[in-house]
Amino acid sequence: MNAVSSGLKPADAAVSAPFFVRGELVEGQDATHRSRDLGVTFATPRIALDQVVHPRTEVPPLLNVPLAEIIDFLVETGQRIRDPGNPFVRECIDRMAATHVLPRAVLEGQVKSAAAYLDQRLLQTVVEQNFPDPRALDEWVPKQDFTGRRSFVRAFPPRLIHVLPGNSPGVAVKSIAQGAMVKAVNLFKMSSSDPFTTVAVLRTMAEIDPGHALVKSMSAVYWRGGDEAVERALYRPQYFDKIVAWGGGDAISNVVKYLGPGFQLVSFDPKTSISMVGREAAASAEALDLAADLAAADVMVLNQEACVASRFIFVEADGHDADRFCERLHARIVERAAASGDARPLDLDLREQIDMLMMLDDEFRVWGKTDGKGLVIRSAEPVDFHPVNKTANVVRVDSLDDALRYVNVATQTVGFYPHQRMPDYRDRLASGGAQRIVRLGQAGPSTIGNPHDAMYPLHRFVHWMAHEDGVGPR
Amino acid sequence: MRLVAAEDRFDYSAAELRETQAAALDERFQERKDRIKLLGHRAREAGTTEIRSREDMVPLLFPHTVYKSYPESFLVEERWDRLGKWLGTVSPYPISATGTSDITGIDDWIERLQAKGHYVSCSSGTTGKSAMLLASDQDMDWSRKDTVNVFSWGSGVQPARDRRMMGLAPTAAVPKNLVIGQAQQAAFGDPARERFRLPIPPITVGSLTTMIVLRKKIADGTARPEELAGFEQTSRVRQEALDQAMIAGAEALIRYRDEKLYISGLWNALYQVAKIVRGMGYSAKDFHPDNCIYVGGGLKRAQLPPDYQEFVHQTFNIPASRNFQNYSMQELNSGMPKCQKGDRYHVPPWLVPFILDEEGRTLLPHETGEVEGRAAFYDLSLDGRWGGIITGDKISLDFGPCACGCKGASVRDNIVRYADLPGDDKIGCAGTVDAYVRGLS
Repeated sequence: MNAVSSGLKPADAAVSAPFFVRGELVEGQDATHRSRDLGVTFATPRIALDQVVHPRTEVPPLLNVPLAEIIDFLVETGQRIRDPGNPFVRECIDRMAATHVLPRAVLEGQVKSAAAYLDQRLLQTVVEQNFPDPRALDEWVPKQDFTGRRSFVRAFPPRLIHVLPGNSPGVAVKSIAQGAMVKAVNLFKMSSSDPFTTVAVLRTMAEIDPGHALVKSMSAVYWRGGDEAVERALYRPQYFDKIVAWGGGDAISNVVKYLGPGFQLVSFDPKTSISMVGREAAASAEALDLAADLAAADVMVLNQEACVASRFIFVEADGHDADRFCERLHARIVERAAASGDARPLDLDLREQIDMLMMLDDEFRVWGKTDGKGLVIRSAEPVDFHPVNKTANVVRVDSLDDALRYVNVATQTVGFYPHQRMPDYRDRLASGGAQRIVRLGQAGPSTIGNPHDAMYPLHRFVHWMAHEDGVGPR
Repeated sequence: MRLVAAEDRFDYSAAELRETQAAALDERFQERKDRIKLLGHRAREAGTTEIRSREDMVPLLFPHTVYKSYPESFLVEERWDRLGKWLGTVSPYPISATGTSDITGIDDWIERLQAKGHYVSCSSGTTGKSAMLLASDQDMDWSRKDTVNVFSWGSGVQPARDRRMMGLAPTAAVPKNLVIGQAQQAAFGDPARERFRLPIPPITVGSLTTMIVLRKKIADGTARPEELAGFEQTSRVRQEALDQAMIAGAEALIRYRDEKLYISGLWNALYQVAKIVRGMGYSAKDFHPDNCIYVGGGLKRAQLPPDYQEFVHQTFNIPASRNFQNYSMQELNSGMPKCQKGDRYHVPPWLVPFILDEEGRTLLPHETGEVEGRAAFYDLSLDGRWGGIITGDKISLDFGPCACGCKGASVRDNIVRYADLPGDDKIGCAGTVDAYVRGLS
């Protein structure tokens, strides 16, 4: 039943994690690292620091490769990732099953759906949404202001370090595509819980054309986040323009100390997502079933490992109806957890806190047990801890207006039921700090090319260069 | 328990104690399972009805975080009745519902509980919640005896009431710390010579919780900039007062340098004071050759040079044979003093040690020799709360005899907190508002 532990290898058997540096595979067993989540070790080569840096005296390799050609290359990559005969992807999933908290089937699904990002129309749309005039990626675009002054502007390829997260292998594919479309020189710093996917995708690309400028613009390596021997050397504006980092806390404070003029942070911040369920849900048994089912879908996105997954559900109802909702929500979460074969036990701390709430049963009510099969906690205000691992906190409110005070700068997605009430709330949600409001049950998908983390990332990645051409005739 | 002051208390091997300890664990379990609500819940979940061996106890050990598992809003919103109810889930004695409407603050609440025999000690959680640990009169009595025995055994200093007590620790004024201070004074202090205390107001639980409340307000977005600026100003004033107090401490040490001293404090404060004393031109040669030092707590993440201990010892002329070190924690009611010869912390027979896996779920096989893992203990001396605790520490426990001659279980001097180990760097897009809260000074 426990698909996670069945994929485990003994702690002393190190899994090999090769690097990919500017188009070349680098194998070696120079260093071993631990993925503390599962107590698995993996072995990597040493990082040849000079090779992951592209000298500023040379223009980036992708500068004069047309965007259309890059997109074609990415599309071809997507097809090869989906090909069941692709040895790199198969091997990657084998290795990852040993180091990842998510079950194998979920990982396979993620790699497949990540490849769906590499679609011609999709990539084209992403570029068009990020740049008012995407031609700036391919050429110096002429401009003229109302005084008659003329110039050319170019979205010049940047040098980027991507600090990848470990909770969603799909981000690797997306980051490669985004780095490629802005024609960047890219260094991917992989995470300890996924030191494989990025390299597998890059190897797939090298198979298409090992000498292509796109492949030569990509490196993927691992070092332990915060390792000063690497970071003090590499995190400098002479080598990179921007660091694109996911996460918060230590992960970001490690990075922040290296920021300065010419070395900027583009951060994808750690986020919490919530749901808001209006009183309309309690109007009928059907509506209540529907709302609970939709809420469960949002809770269980990537088995609640992702930022879009809902954790707090504000329900506008009296105590009785709130409890009816909780009961249904619990049943739906348990079904989804069982279907994915995921019964990871809760961390001891989390279990302790939830057990304690069970003891304080006049103010809190808990559906399910702390056994990792899914549970729901009902309370009068959000619980102190971060609900993870198939745990939903239902907060009963008299009015959804009362829930707005719990929206803060860490709030990402707000799933809403019924959707007709969304326009009443979106301004106040944005003011509170939230970034997306979606129909309940649709936390996962988003309109192609829409802002992420309250910005258009590709627009921020590039080095905007102006060529002033003066007033008067050209 | 009769062994509390026995000279040979560290000389019982793990094998010799196994059966007695298992029987004692069962006795404690039977006596407490219907009285401590959380324990009853754990026992039902695990299907435990009796303790036949240490293994059976593992699912019933409480993680140390259990004592901070109260909903923070109870504290922030000063809902004393609710906090009392929470305490009731971990207390073997009923927390009687005292009238709570006229309670003026947490210090008042704690005082009222104490009047009814419930001693609440809080740890200082500067970045998060503080733990609230309940104890009874009996526990206070035990602490009084144990602290003196532990210090005497570990440092070789006899309780002869012939020293001037020099208290250099800005510690929290919680019952356990106060009792320990009084007991040490009564055993080692010369009644004719006044005890030196740092000239600063006592750190109350109330002042500790101000920080916690403010942090929560920052996270919620309800703290206003003026409030934060005001808090920072208060912190600066306090820090200046503390800096002044350190100078006063150094001056007092110099004043009494010819006397036989008992110096107590935390490493950070002791190091600061030692530096000031050196700066004033005094060192080992100026101090009494029979001084002793009592250090509580670890480094608490203070950044000190690697030789800080030698520096402190050398400044105050502490003989090498008096290098007292004690492994304990707020969650336990007993200490484990370090021997001079074997450099190991000795586990008394009433403290049942367990080495668990890193997650704290499984007992590692351990019959003989040394095993490393997450430390857990059952403190048979505890009365006012459950004695079983899973710590945050990684330790090496040895069942073999120590170089000092004692046959009892001992802990190697390489204890680290799991939280301080370099973590792996798993990062995710999911996270909480905690990452958006910049700390205050």
